[in-house]
Amino acid sequence: MSDRAPAELPDHVDVLVIGSGAGGATTAAVLAEAGRDVLVVEEGAMVRQGDVVPFSLDQMDRQYRAGGVTAAIGRPSIAYTEGCCVGGGTEINSGLYRKPPAAVLDRWRRHHGVADLTEAALFDICDEVERDLSVQRMPGAAIGASEALRRGAERLGWANEEIPRWMTYTSADVSSGRRQSMSETYLPRATSAGAVLVSGHRVDRLVRRHDRAVAALVSDRAGRTSTVRFRDVFVCGGAIQSPALLQRSGLRHRIGRSLAIHPTVKLTARFDDALNVPDDVPVHQVTEFTPDLSFGGSASSPGLIALALSDHWSRFGDAIEEWRHLAIYYAAITGEGRGRVTAVPGLRDPVVTYRLTRRDAALLNRGLARLALVMLEAGATAVYPSFRNAPIVTARRDLATMQALFAITRVSVMTVHLCSTVPMGGDPARSATDSHGLVHGTQNIYVNDAALLPDAPGVNPQASVMAVAIRNARRFLDRAPS
Amino acid sequence: MTARRADPDVTVVTGAAGWLGRALIAALSDPAGPHHRSGEIRALVRHRCDAELVVETATAVGHTASSGTRLVPVVGDVRTEAGLGDLFADLADQGAVDVIHTAGVIHPRTLSDLVEVNARGTEHVAAAARAAGARRFVHVSSNSPIGTNPHPDDRFRNDEPYHPYLGYGRSKMLAELRLQDEVGRGLDAVIVRPPWFYGRYQPSRQTSFFTLVRTGRFPVVGDGRQRRSMVYVDNLVQGVVLAELVHTPPGRTWWIADADPYSINEIVATVKAALGDAGFDVANRQLRLPRAVSRVAYALDAALQRSGRYNTQLHVLGEIDQTIACDITVARRELGYSPVVGLADGMAASIAWCVEQGIEL
Repeated sequence: MSDRAPAELPDHVDVLVIGSGAGGATTAAVLAEAGRDVLVVEEGAMVRQGDVVPFSLDQMDRQYRAGGVTAAIGRPSIAYTEGCCVGGGTEINSGLYRKPPAAVLDRWRRHHGVADLTEAALFDICDEVERDLSVQRMPGAAIGASEALRRGAERLGWANEEIPRWMTYTSADVSSGRRQSMSETYLPRATSAGAVLVSGHRVDRLVRRHDRAVAALVSDRAGRTSTVRFRDVFVCGGAIQSPALLQRSGLRHRIGRSLAIHPTVKLTARFDDALNVPDDVPVHQVTEFTPDLSFGGSASSPGLIALALSDHWSRFGDAIEEWRHLAIYYAAITGEGRGRVTAVPGLRDPVVTYRLTRRDAALLNRGLARLALVMLEAGATAVYPSFRNAPIVTARRDLATMQALFAITRVSVMTVHLCSTVPMGGDPARSATDSHGLVHGTQNIYVNDAALLPDAPGVNPQASVMAVAIRNARRFLDRAPS
Repeated sequence: MTARRADPDVTVVTGAAGWLGRALIAALSDPAGPHHRSGEIRALVRHRCDAELVVETATAVGHTASSGTRLVPVVGDVRTEAGLGDLFADLADQGAVDVIHTAGVIHPRTLSDLVEVNARGTEHVAAAARAAGARRFVHVSSNSPIGTNPHPDDRFRNDEPYHPYLGYGRSKMLAELRLQDEVGRGLDAVIVRPPWFYGRYQPSRQTSFFTLVRTGRFPVVGDGRQRRSMVYVDNLVQGVVLAELVHTPPGRTWWIADADPYSINEIVATVKAALGDAGFDVANRQLRLPRAVSRVAYALDAALQRSGRYNTQLHVLGEIDQTIACDITVARRELGYSPVVGLADGMAASIAWCVEQGIEL
C-alpha cells in the first residue's frame, strides 16, 4: 500500500475522507473504485501488521489515542480506548466479527426511523465484507483461555459461540494466523484505485459556506497547517472524534449528545494450567444473556494482568507471579445510560461524559458474578474481580460476598465500543443525519462511521460500521453522479 | 424421558402444618389425587394443635384410615437435634424413606429465628436424614438466596450466583450451602426453589394481599412492569414430588414456578378480575407509588434488619419494585415438570378456597 506523506496536501479533491478506520477505509475504497478522486486524511501513524506485538503496552503507546488512556467523566469514570493509526480500531482489536443482529436492525428501522435498511440488503453487504476480510473460524483449537470460557458455559448449559475473526491462516496451526484489517484490505484497494492516503495529519475544522462545507483546515504533527478544498466530505473519525470535529465546525444539532457504549467490567481467573497466551485473545463469547449482557475474554499480557489486579493490589498483587496461569475476562452490557461528547475551545480532545443508570449498575454486578460462576465451573481456582476491595472468589459462596461488596463507584468500568454520537434516523428532530449519513441542514457533509449507529448494537460493532458505511457510500454514488 | 423411582415406604414431611406442607399432605393422602401414595407419611409439626390441623387437612380431601395412607403427625422442632428424635425414630426396617423438608420461616418475629429455623434447622434435618439412611431428601428453598433480577427482562437461569436478599435470603442461602455439605457426605439431596406462591392453605398475610388488592390499596410501585415469577401451590406440589421421585444426580437445584413470570400490573389486574368474578366489591382506584418509596422502604428494612429486627410491611414494600423472575426450562427437561395452572385459574381457585373457609377478604 502506498504510504506517502506528501509534504504538501493536494489543494483540491473530489471527496475528502477524514479517518481511515472501519468507516473511512471502506468509504474510500467504494468511492475510489467508482473513479472518484479521494483523499484520506488520518491523524495517526502508519504501523504495519507485525511491526508491534499485538495487545502489548507498546501497541497501546503507538496505535491508541493518548496511549490508550482516555476516560469518560462520570461516577464512575469509564476508561475507553480509541485506535489512532492508519486503519483505526481494526488494526488493534480482537478482530471478532459479528453481524448486526436482525432484532437490532429492526429497532433501528422502527424506533429510529432509518429508511432503506433491509436485512437482506445489509446482510448481502456483510457477505462481501466477510469475503474481503476473510472472516472465518479457527482452523484448530482456540487458545486455552477461550476453551475455559466455553467449558464453563457448557457446564452451566449457557449458550456460547466461537466468534469468527478477520484472519487468514496458512495451516491448521492457529499461530499461523495473520490478522486482516483495513491496512491489509480496504485501504490498499482504495490506494490502488487512485486514492491518496496521508497519515499524521489532523483535520482541525471544516470551513462552511451556507449549507455546504468547502474546505478542511489540516495540521500536521509539527503544527504546520494547510487547507484542502473539496466537493464532498465524509467524516469518519469514530464516535468521539467525528462529533467533536462537527462541533468545532459549528454543527450542533443532535451531535455528541447520545453516546452509547457497552460498559464493561473485568475479572482475572487463575487456572491450574499455564493457559496464558499473551499475544492472542479468546474467540469464544457467552451469548446466553444477549442482547443485554455478554461475556468474552480479553488480552492478557503480563502488563494488562497487572493492571487488572491493581484494583485490590494489596490482596491480589502476589498472583502476578503466576501470570502464565491467569487470564482476563470481561462482562459487557448494553448500557441504558447515555453520554456526551463536547468539543471545548482550546482543548485538543473533547470532554466525554457518561452516566450509568441504576439498571446498568445492577446488570454489571450480576454480570460480573455470572461471569465468575462460569470461571468456577471452568475450573478456576481463584477469581479476582476488578473492583476496589473485591474479595478473592474461590467457591460459589464467595459470589454472595462479591456481589455484596460491589459498588458501582468502586469498579473499573471500561469500554471499547463507542457509538451513536451522530445518529442517523428518519426524524430530523431526533437524529443528526438522514438515514444515509448526510448531516441535517447540510448538502455535502456526511458522517460514515460508528457515530452513525442509532444505538449500541449489543455485539462487536465493527461489522455493522463497515456494512452501513459501504451502504451509504454506494447510495452517495447513486445520488451524486460524478 | 425421565426415570422415576417407586413411591417410598415412608415419606417424612417437615413443616407439615405450613402452607406448602398442608398442600403436600393433602396431595399425598388424597385417594383420588394424582400424587396419592400408600405407606406412611410422617408429618412434623411444632404443636399438638398443628397435628390436628394436619389430620383435618387430609380428612378434608377424603383421607380415611382405610384409604391406604398412614398419616402420623409427630410433634418436634427442627431447631435442635433432640427435637427431631421422634421424627426419625424406628426407620431402620421401614424400607425406602424420603424426606421433604418444607419447614421454614419467612416473616420471623425476630431475625435470629431465620438462621435458627432455616439454616440450622435444615442442617439438623439433613444430618438426621442421612443418619437414618434416607433415599432422597428434597429441600424447599426460595428465590431469595439468588436475589433480584437486574432488569425486568432478565430471567434467572437454573444456575445463578448467590446474591441473598437481606436476612431471609442469607438464611436460605446458608441452608442450601449446608445441605450441599451433606451431599458431599453422601446424602442424596436436591433443592427446589419456588418463588412467591399462591393457592389453598394460604396464611393470613396472603389474605391481606387479596384485601389490599380488592380495596385498591396494594401499592403498585413505578410503572408496575416489574415482573414476578409466582407458583400455584398445586404446580409446586407437582415439582416437589418430581424432584423426590425422578432419578437425577444428587445436589441438583431447580426453579419450580408457573410457566412464565407476570408483571405486577398483570397480577393486580388478574386478582381484581378474579375477585369481581367471585362477587366481591372491587375498588376502581389503584394506589400507585413512586419508586423512591420502595427504595426508602428497602433502606429502612435493611437498617432494621442490621439491628436484628424485622417489619413485614417494610420488607414487602421494599421488595415490590424489584423483578424476581426465573426460567423453568431445566426443571421441565430434567424432571418433566409441567405447570398446568396459570394465574387466572389459580387466583380464582385461591379466592374460592378462602370463601369456602369463611375467610373474609
